[in-house]
Amino acid sequence: MNFDFGRVALVLVLAVVPIIGIALGMRAPALRSRIPILIGIFAGLIPIFSLYIPKQFLSGPTGMSPRLDQWLIILAGFALLLGIVNVVQNNSRKISRREKGWFFAAVLLIGLLVTSAFGIWGWWTKMGIGFMPDGSPTPFKWVEDRFFQPLQSTIFSLLAFFMASAAFRAFRARNTEATILLIAAGLVMAGRVPLLEFLAAPFPPLHPSASAASQFLGGLAERIMDIPNGAAQSGIIIGAALGAASMAIRVILGIERGYLGLGQGE
Amino acid sequence: MKRIFTWLLKLDRRWIFLFVLFSVATPIVFPIGLPVTTTDSTRRAFEYLESLKPGDTIWLSFDYGPSSAPENDPMAEAVMRQCFLKHVKVVVLALYPLGGLGLANTAVAKVTAEFPGLRYGEDYVNLGYKDGAAAVMRRLGEDIAGAFPTDVNGTPLSRIPMMRGVHDIRNVKLVFTAATGVIGEWWITQVHSQIGTPVVIGPTAVSAPKYYAYLNAGQLVGMLSGMKGAAEYERLLRDTYPQMARFYKSTRTFTATKGMDGQTVIHTVMIAFIILGNLAFLVTRETGRPEAAA
Amino acid sequence: MTGRGKRRAGTAPVFPARRRGAAARPAPKLPLLLLLAAALASGFPAAAFAIAPEISPPAPPPIEPPTSFTALDRPGDTGGAVLLTWKDPPTLPDGAAIEILRSEPPAYEWSSLALVKPGAGKYEDATAADGKLYRYEIRVQAPVDAATGAARVSPPVVSDSVSARDNWFRTGRENSLIASILFVAIVLISIAWARSGHEIFIRRISGLNAVDEAIGRATELGKKVFFIPGIQSMDDIQTIASIAILGFVARSTARYGTDLDVPNKDPITFVSAREAVRGAYLAEGRPDLFREEMVNYVTYDQFAYTAAVSARMVREKPAAIFLIGYFFAESLILAETGQSTGAIQIAGQADPTQLPFFVATCDYVLIGEELYAASAYLSREPVLLGSTRGQDIAKGILILLGLAGVALASFGNTWLSSVMKTQ
Repeated sequence: MNFDFGRVALVLVLAVVPIIGIALGMRAPALRSRIPILIGIFAGLIPIFSLYIPKQFLSGPTGMSPRLDQWLIILAGFALLLGIVNVVQNNSRKISRREKGWFFAAVLLIGLLVTSAFGIWGWWTKMGIGFMPDGSPTPFKWVEDRFFQPLQSTIFSLLAFFMASAAFRAFRARNTEATILLIAAGLVMAGRVPLLEFLAAPFPPLHPSASAASQFLGGLAERIMDIPNGAAQSGIIIGAALGAASMAIRVILGIERGYLGLGQGE
Repeated sequence: MKRIFTWLLKLDRRWIFLFVLFSVATPIVFPIGLPVTTTDSTRRAFEYLESLKPGDTIWLSFDYGPSSAPENDPMAEAVMRQCFLKHVKVVVLALYPLGGLGLANTAVAKVTAEFPGLRYGEDYVNLGYKDGAAAVMRRLGEDIAGAFPTDVNGTPLSRIPMMRGVHDIRNVKLVFTAATGVIGEWWITQVHSQIGTPVVIGPTAVSAPKYYAYLNAGQLVGMLSGMKGAAEYERLLRDTYPQMARFYKSTRTFTATKGMDGQTVIHTVMIAFIILGNLAFLVTRETGRPEAAA
Repeated sequence: MTGRGKRRAGTAPVFPARRRGAAARPAPKLPLLLLLAAALASGFPAAAFAIAPEISPPAPPPIEPPTSFTALDRPGDTGGAVLLTWKDPPTLPDGAAIEILRSEPPAYEWSSLALVKPGAGKYEDATAADGKLYRYEIRVQAPVDAATGAARVSPPVVSDSVSARDNWFRTGRENSLIASILFVAIVLISIAWARSGHEIFIRRISGLNAVDEAIGRATELGKKVFFIPGIQSMDDIQTIASIAILGFVARSTARYGTDLDVPNKDPITFVSAREAVRGAYLAEGRPDLFREEMVNYVTYDQFAYTAAVSARMVREKPAAIFLIGYFFAESLILAETGQSTGAIQIAGQADPTQLPFFVATCDYVLIGEELYAASAYLSREPVLLGSTRGQDIAKGILILLGLAGVALASFGNTWLSSVMKTQ
């Protein structure tokens, strides 16, 4: 009989132990914090060991590490259910109490219900959420194409407006560092587009000079991105990576407990 | 003069928004046709793809959603066109959860229609979407069929001719990821660093500064930064393959080259705003809110 | 029986009968002799009268087999692969390739696996099943000889039996393992050092100093505190750091009785945030102030979440906004909207992508590892401060190694950079 050690260990630690922990926690509150920390230690160590130990039970296609990724996806699904319940509860309360903006809460709930219904219809009829056999979009796809995609693009395009207002308001040469930032930002913005050619467009005699200057500006912008920006980014990435590693050690060893809602003494 | 600058400083931001709207919309309605210059990072990506031989396989990952489609769609389409011209096989997949697959399907349908001789399963294949991007990438290093047992149509990989010689990501010559967010970085850290497959990234312009660190470290073969990078790639494609010019001339379809007109105007407007704002600040010396401190 | 001269009645004579009495005339010899003499005198090649001997085309030179052939389990992998290595023979015909065959004992039925170009020197058989014994054979296969039409193949070289298996260590990552162990050791030693009562200095981080100021301002104005914990899930370390800071913020809001709103994009983060806030209110002894709707789930879509939170900011006009965690393109929209409401904004992100937008629009920004040091800074717990110190020591070592590497590389010595390369 093949004993799938990895699968058994995961089920034991991620399913059996939490259930035991919940049961014990009802009797002994001190254990309420211990079990999640133990699970955190176990779950944190598996990917680290998997990085160095290529044994099948750990790193293979059906090993503990890839299975842990699958557990996370399953957990996210259950957590999503909690989130949806919360959305429905909050917005229903708003509607029932006729709070300010209750109409928008109703629109949200109607949208949630209709889109969910279309998705469930696609699953029930096996049409899916893409295109129907005749090439026409399923109702879910229709909602996605006519509502979701344009709305997403609209909100994303707000960035252009906010960027302009932030540039006007915040890019001030208040001190030396701010001035250097300003000059660098201006050079990069000018170098990334054919700005000089655009400005010289109504003046044909200036076209060759504008083109040459634009090439120079483009090269300068690329050098600014490549050298000072590249160096600064590398420094921040390395520093942040070390900070992340230190934080991860604290979480795995159970030293950091703030994310569990526990203080240091708990 | 001081009164004008004081008025300027107190200007409602909605006037700025309106000005920006006209600045961006006007070049779309009245195209200018400004030239596009190429940068080293884009040229390196193009030359690497040019060095591939007919029959080589590349991985084209749609790791973006509808929000960044104007930046990422043109680069994905340009890379696909180059591959089909060179008879390089393309494996398409999507790892972005919201809208990635739809964009992949649309782009594949659009570009493959331009090359009537292409055959699905022999020249290109669409593996569809898979959840858990980083976990999928780790799995690709061992066994592609384990991550994608079937293609988007449900056909097992073993029955797709071009996938028979592609057991894992080591058998692929390049990964091109058109990405938004962190998925592009995972291709570098999970695939290139651990397996060695070369990666070219096409990030959105806002993420591009971070990837210069990886480019300088040699962890990226090349990079297409935002819409400018896409426009540069389109220019390189047209220069190398003049027959491609017809796809970039149409007034109906959006291309990055056309988008650069709008981007040029808005950059000019923003630089003007910055200069005006600073002139107003210097003239009035108003301090306003607390400083932004790091 | 018919004999010579005798014939059956009705048949033609087989041989003409000799006339009776006629003596047999001798064959005329003189013309034949004359003919022979003439042929010899003309110098007609004797070979014209001889049978030509058979001449075979010369045999092609034999092809040498590859040498030093080994078949071993591929080291440092999860199994399923055998590594073959060999040395090509010194002389190879044009167009030759190395043919690799495999058999499973005891059947010894060889099946062709691959044809490898000369110069490769190695091949990985990634179709081997773990635990199964295989034997491999390699030989040089040259193009068919044009003269003889025969296939040209070198003598085969056969390997010992080998099986694939998973290994205990991934080769190529030794330096990474040593570095990881060293880093963990430094952090643990620093924690032990801090626990023993030593004072640890941590520099001033103005963003964290402003947390109390921001919450105090919200309390005075009677307005809300917004805490936005980023848009990634709890598998991202920045989100964990963010939730840890949320715990401190929630304690302060519980202490001062300030209203707190924590909109979430990720469902798992939503659950963790709710527990963190509930735990904080409990720890402050104010469970009565905690309401479930304080921590709420909005939507999983990035821009729908951004639109909802922005609208909430404009409607409710919070006095303090915390944007701490991992943000993407929505960062500028949220921060600029927050700025327009007049709120004091404290942002923090380790990833550098969105930092410029935060710096332009927020009052205080935590950059890079300042985010991770926040829990240590705010709590002043010796253990947490110790780990921060350990991380700084490791960074100092890395800086020194980086400088040493640059110096060595400037003089053409790349030993240090090759040691630091990881796979």
